[in-house]
Amino acid sequence: MPAGAPRLWRSLTFRLALLYIGLFAVSVGLLFGVLYWLIIARPMQDMAGRVSAEAAALVATDARDGRPALLAALDRRLRDHGDVKPFHALVAADGRVVSANLPSWPAVPFAGSRRLEADLYSDGDEDDHEALMVDRRLGDGARLLVGRDIEMLDDREELFAGGAAWVVAIAALLAVFGSIAMSAVVARRIDAVGRTARRVMAGNLGERIPVRGTGDDFDDLAETLNRMLDRIEDSMESNRRISDSIAHELRTPLARLHADLDDLAASEPGPAERSRLIGQAVEEARRLQAVFDALLRIARIETGLHDTGVRRIDLSTLLRDAAEFYGPEAEARDQRLTAAIPDGLAIEGDPDLLFQAVSNLLDNAIKYAPVGGQVTLETRRDGARIAVTITDDGPGIAPEHRARVTERFYRAPGTVPAPGIGLGLSLVAAVARLHRAELVIHDGGRGRISLILPVARGA
Amino acid sequence: MHILLIEDDARVAEHVRKGLSEAGHIVDHRADGREGLLSAAAERYDVLVVDRMLPNVDGLAIIRTIRASGDHVPVLILSALADVDERVKGLRAGGDDYLTKPFALAELLARVEILGRRGRTAAEPSRIAVADLEIDLLGHHVRRGGQRIDLTNREFRILEYLARNTGRVVTRSMLLENVWDYHFDPQTNIIDQHVSKLRQKIDRDFAAPLLHTVRGTGYVLRGEP
Repeated sequence: MPAGAPRLWRSLTFRLALLYIGLFAVSVGLLFGVLYWLIIARPMQDMAGRVSAEAAALVATDARDGRPALLAALDRRLRDHGDVKPFHALVAADGRVVSANLPSWPAVPFAGSRRLEADLYSDGDEDDHEALMVDRRLGDGARLLVGRDIEMLDDREELFAGGAAWVVAIAALLAVFGSIAMSAVVARRIDAVGRTARRVMAGNLGERIPVRGTGDDFDDLAETLNRMLDRIEDSMESNRRISDSIAHELRTPLARLHADLDDLAASEPGPAERSRLIGQAVEEARRLQAVFDALLRIARIETGLHDTGVRRIDLSTLLRDAAEFYGPEAEARDQRLTAAIPDGLAIEGDPDLLFQAVSNLLDNAIKYAPVGGQVTLETRRDGARIAVTITDDGPGIAPEHRARVTERFYRAPGTVPAPGIGLGLSLVAAVARLHRAELVIHDGGRGRISLILPVARGA
Repeated sequence: MHILLIEDDARVAEHVRKGLSEAGHIVDHRADGREGLLSAAAERYDVLVVDRMLPNVDGLAIIRTIRASGDHVPVLILSALADVDERVKGLRAGGDDYLTKPFALAELLARVEILGRRGRTAAEPSRIAVADLEIDLLGHHVRRGGQRIDLTNREFRILEYLARNTGRVVTRSMLLENVWDYHFDPQTNIIDQHVSKLRQKIDRDFAAPLLHTVRGTGYVLRGEP
């Protein structure tokens, strides 16, 4: 539809109404056509067949047995005519009428069958008739018209035409008003959705589409859209919470950095104090950069920009490398880090991101397991999925905090604040989502977390 | 060394120029991409330090043009784009090393030193000796004072990287990038623990230490004190 088309024509409901009227008209026409054929056209055909068969028999009688026999046959036909009144006219070659009960006929002979007026008068009363006639030429040049009464079919035809006109008129009215009413109802409900959408766009995210409670299609649609709005509102709310905590996490080191620089500028610190302040300032700048980098990395992973590195990788090697990388760290805390990894685990993934995710999990496990404790990295293949599980004998994550630990900067209240920037598990969760993997935090009073990855195709 | 610095931010440029000059290098600075490209084509430098986002001609375009002309001068890319993808793009364009902003000056100096040296060395050695430490790069054997030292594969790779850059400072992030096959951020200073395990094996039983810590920067493998 071109943009310049009138608004009414662009409206779907209007076009649907027109389509509806069109279909209605076609079906009414079809119905009347079939009816006409059954009660009028076909009986008329039958009658034409019967009349021409009679005419053929009479012509044969005349040729075989002579004129008197024909006249006798015509007489006999008039006497026992059965259900339908017969008509005939016999005109000699010189124009004299030999025998006829047909009041009039065309002067010029005609081919095929023709409908002729055949009104009869008896005792001054007019008796309406119409006859279906055929016209035959006899051997001596005489003309024989033979036919039968079709008044009943004629009446039926008139009735039919009158009735059909009424029915069509009423049906047309019904179709027009029905479709207007129908499109008005649909348009009103679509408008309700549109109005709500516009209010939401205007910033009122709490608006919801009214639901009638009839459970119809529009209610279904409205409920789906309302659920979508709920989700959007939730995610906006969580975004707001995240940006609040981002602001806090960035402002705190910034404030400390500012304080250190102020101290350096204001007082005249001795060399030892000076180098302490500078060291602190550099450390705060480093922390700011770490938070910033991690936030950007998570954002990039989450927006799917970071999918260029995805390829088929050997998970076994990756996990062994990660365990090897953290070996000295665990050793420094007198912990036993064991990794039982079978060969040949293949997945589709980004090796850098997966290594980072496994690193973060191992880092957490080593941080939270007690000195002299135990950290285990293991895998289990379960059909088309590989579970990478990291277990430590630390306290684990309490059930009430599990849902939120992957949120940015969320630290479970009451736990000893471990060094770190509070983004480790958020990044793991983002990497898991990118790999269509599941991150499961297990029960059991100790640290146990699994990353469940889909295996590579054909592996 | 003669170094060309193409960087449009005046303060970053001054900071880098000063640092490189104090380390004994001669630095030419261009603040514009087109001028930078013209200078790089006109003169022979030992190392180029190129910012990615520059006025007129983009940093990556400069590197591609230089490489297309058959010039193999070592290039260090400086960039505010920190993502692994961006790094890969930079190296693919023909950069030899990639450093993200903000960076410590010591990190930049260490990387420039090593890039400049790479430009001059000829064939790959098959063995390296540092004082009485002998490293057989083909057979993966290490001996010190004739005594065989057993290293893990990772410890060997750390030592190999340090030995190939004997006498030059190697930073922690350089070790991470060159010894481990993943590009990631370890958050904690685990590199230090890996190096200290290596140090125990090669230095503990000997009078003169070879593997030295450079405070706040990294490590250096050096024969003479």
